[in-house]
Amino acid sequence: MTAVLVQLAQLALALTLAPGLVGTLRWLKARLQNRRGAPAWQPYFELRKLFGKEVVVSENASWIFRAAPFVVFAAAVAVAALLPWLAVPTPLDAVGDLLVVVYLLLLGTFFLALAGLDPGSAFGGMGSSREMTISALAEPTVALAIFALALGAGSTNLGQIVARTMTNPGAALSPGHLLAFAALFVVMLAETGRLPIDNPATHLELTMIHEAMVLEYSGRYLALIEWASALKLLVFFALLGNLFVPWGVAVALTPGALALAVASLLVKLAVLAVAVAVLETRVAKLRLFRVPELLSASFVLALLAVTSSFLAR
Amino acid sequence: MQSLFAQLVVLQSSLVLIFGLVLLWRRRVPAYVNAFTWQSIVLAGVAATVGWFGGERELYLIACLLFVVKGMAIPRLLGRMERRFTSESELAPYVNTATSLLIAGVLVLFGYAVMRPVVAASELPTRAGMPLAMGLVLVSLFVVVSRKKALTQVVGFLMLENGIALLAILGTYGIPLIVELGVFLDALMGFLVMQIFVYRIHETFDTMDVDQLDRLRH
Repeated sequence: MTAVLVQLAQLALALTLAPGLVGTLRWLKARLQNRRGAPAWQPYFELRKLFGKEVVVSENASWIFRAAPFVVFAAAVAVAALLPWLAVPTPLDAVGDLLVVVYLLLLGTFFLALAGLDPGSAFGGMGSSREMTISALAEPTVALAIFALALGAGSTNLGQIVARTMTNPGAALSPGHLLAFAALFVVMLAETGRLPIDNPATHLELTMIHEAMVLEYSGRYLALIEWASALKLLVFFALLGNLFVPWGVAVALTPGALALAVASLLVKLAVLAVAVAVLETRVAKLRLFRVPELLSASFVLALLAVTSSFLAR
Repeated sequence: MQSLFAQLVVLQSSLVLIFGLVLLWRRRVPAYVNAFTWQSIVLAGVAATVGWFGGERELYLIACLLFVVKGMAIPRLLGRMERRFTSESELAPYVNTATSLLIAGVLVLFGYAVMRPVVAASELPTRAGMPLAMGLVLVSLFVVVSRKKALTQVVGFLMLENGIALLAILGTYGIPLIVELGVFLDALMGFLVMQIFVYRIHETFDTMDVDQLDRLRH
């Protein structure tokens, strides 16, 4: 019973935290660029505003366009439900493992690309084609990086990977782990549309990817998509934080352990947010034709991660 | 203690290898020189670690030499060469970046395959790093044959030397000091000779692109 409650609380925490994370990232970037910046809770106001607005849909759009926001949001929520945010093992461990998480995320991406193509606008089609190019290249890297983790833990189950790394702290410093972390970090930047690959700060730029796909959306549909993409960013941060540096995650469901878990989760998210904000301030956007090179570099890192966890055991 | 030693050595060896792989992704000569500098510094760290845990005093001296010669002196000379040919710093390798990264991945796998019997036979705590050193040797060989500019080929050669040094440190806890010193002197001399060659090539052909060397003098 407690386990189910904790599970629900985790999911609620993730859903409420997601817009705040995006706001914090924007605020950090603004401070680093010597601007005052909107407060970190600004995305909550934006979501409320969007939910209250009228929806305008192109007359060429089919049911896919209307269904896509719900599919994208549902996929993101399902992924959030599977992750070990605060405590292991979670009751949903039996439902899905790392592979399910990755492919649920891809399902969301796929429907977003379909929705970009559906109304037949030039920008949407362009964004979808770019997004698919990038996810096709990022996909094998994610799978390989995860296999490197799974090989170390002997299981693809998220809860077990976390528990295994906690009992064997040396494994967190093994080259397989570090290389997989680097590979997954690059993929995270690509999948969530962060800077060297896509610029999250613009709405009208010929090189945009994510924004081009959602350009036709408005009102509550746009709100759902924005929330889902914030949740996706949070999910990737939590994957990086809790799978690779699992300390702080509660093993027993006591109030003290759970409070510690919440605190450590917030610290990990803050560290990752600062890292991404600094990176985004320092680097320029890559030319689209150099993105495959970056992604193949991260693929090689993931390949080495698998090799070293498989052969150097 | 032993497992910490093994962890540290593998970690540092993978860093050394990663700095080798950086060459394939970066395009400008200063980035090449930077990668080489950091690689040499980490290599000095490997030597010091093996010296500390393996109880080999001589390795400290080697670490210092590595740091001074390869971490400071050679990068400075490379930087000076680079400044002289600034117009040449844009590189166009024979193989494009994505393909060369994939080839490098396969080469590292091949390194693992080649070193497998050696690793299986070895009892040293450093054995897990040896395939990485072999991988670095192969990758830097690939850098040497796939780059067009003489300067980047020189960096590739220096990395090859680093790979061999890493293999020696990991495999045998350092070869006898006198041999090591000889190798150092060789590498430094080789570098100086290459430097003169690069200057001469540049003077004669007005470029460092080795593709142009089959032209007669104009």
